[in-house]
Amino acid sequence: MSISLSGRTAAVGVGYRQYKRGTAPVPERGVLVRAIVDACEDAGFDPAEVDGFVSYGDDKNEPVRLMPDLGTKELNWSAQVWGGGGGGIAGAFGLAASAILTGQARAVIVFRALVEGNSGRLSAAVMAHHLNDHMVSAGILAPAQVCAMRAQRMFEHHGVPQELCAELVRASYYHGSRNPEAVAYGKDFDLDEYRRSRIIAEPFHLFDCSRENDGAGAILLVSAEMARDLRKKPVKLLSVAQGTQAGYGDLLENDAEALYPTAGFRAIRDRLFGIAGLTPADIDVVQLYENFSAQGIASLIDHGFCTYENVAELVRFENLIAPGGKLPVNTSGGNLAHGFVHGFVTAVEAVRCLRGESPNPVPDARTCLLAGGPGAPTISSAIFGVD
Amino acid sequence: MTYHPATGPIGAEGRYWDALIEGRLELPRCASCGTWHWPAVWRCGACGSWDHEWVEQPIEGSVFTYTRTHHGFGGTEAFAKPFSTLVVALRTVPIRLVGVLDPDDAALKIGAPVTGAIGRTRFGDADVPALRWRLA
Repeated sequence: MSISLSGRTAAVGVGYRQYKRGTAPVPERGVLVRAIVDACEDAGFDPAEVDGFVSYGDDKNEPVRLMPDLGTKELNWSAQVWGGGGGGIAGAFGLAASAILTGQARAVIVFRALVEGNSGRLSAAVMAHHLNDHMVSAGILAPAQVCAMRAQRMFEHHGVPQELCAELVRASYYHGSRNPEAVAYGKDFDLDEYRRSRIIAEPFHLFDCSRENDGAGAILLVSAEMARDLRKKPVKLLSVAQGTQAGYGDLLENDAEALYPTAGFRAIRDRLFGIAGLTPADIDVVQLYENFSAQGIASLIDHGFCTYENVAELVRFENLIAPGGKLPVNTSGGNLAHGFVHGFVTAVEAVRCLRGESPNPVPDARTCLLAGGPGAPTISSAIFGVD
Repeated sequence: MTYHPATGPIGAEGRYWDALIEGRLELPRCASCGTWHWPAVWRCGACGSWDHEWVEQPIEGSVFTYTRTHHGFGGTEAFAKPFSTLVVALRTVPIRLVGVLDPDDAALKIGAPVTGAIGRTRFGDADVPALRWRLA
């Protein structure tokens, strides 16, 4: 028997706390507890009634340790998606929905917390998850280098114009500059500064890379029935898919030639849209996890919004910005310009934009695609919607 | 297997490291169906065989992709910045291997033919066997 999850659970509360890297006022678990309580207050839900927790990306905060602060009555279910990067962010919502729809939990917090003083640098942690002697022998010690090699192939061999990265970065900063929560708030994006910024690993300049923040995010997921009685407009989970395909993954750069420059989402695209009964043309706004600018573009291609041939027609500043763009992307500024707590801000903004709470509203948006961490060996994405 | 890895447990490729230390590049082929496997495997996912033969290969190929690293990431102290890391598609077998271009070369581009030699990369207290590539 197959149970469809489409539309049967809903995000009802959002909490997000972000600080400059290295400046969180309390240690990591304290920041996380605050974000979880924020999410519950947003929903009008007693934190003590949360009975399930799920995270991704090797989060270190085992849910049982949150119970004394939250007053948790029963911890009925906890889990984490495999993978060291952000590939599991959307899959965490899928796990939560599975737990709710099978009666294993009633109210599940999806979370991620990252405070440098406790967990160290994320880039180092992600790399530690993958590192091997082949990589260190070749001087590969950072996700930026692996993504750079894939980006180089996408640009030089597959002909995707490198200049498109500037369009995506510019749109992110445009949105971030209008978001009081964002690292880029009040700042103008200077294209010359972008181009002159120091090179990290060719073809990436500094502004092509997400930069880490301290912080924590939490989103409360419950059944669609329970959601009706809570404070905010329910944002339904319409679809989620995770996985990978043969010829892609942790393969010492031996991915199938056609898959090598992709962000990995071809494996799930059809399932993702199929579960929701939607197509890319039905998506009103995208929250695009971009660890690096080129991987964000690869993700848009993978998800079917454009192709290698016509990517330059879509990825233009005016198309990517709210309110009037053809496909508004990262309406809060995304990982690049809002802030980076292992991508969680993209999930937060997916909910907020569909509630009409975005700092850059997309009028009448009904569907939002959350494109998870690109380039991870196992990836995931989700589609959210409102009635 | 005698090789002691610098970064943690290794998989089925112990013979690769031992051969490099002895000055040879050897790569694994399924003894039953002939499929080349990289990363190395214990079981051939194509035919189910558990038997593999390691075959010496010339260290030559073409650039599949690359990045030139400018930032001083921790752990890359062995290399003067900037340095170029290549993914090389070997000429003789359908396998790609990584390594640093030495010397770096402004003519680096995808598709460029390269030849390689076996060197060592200092990483912490370890000398990790490594491939060094040169534009042909």
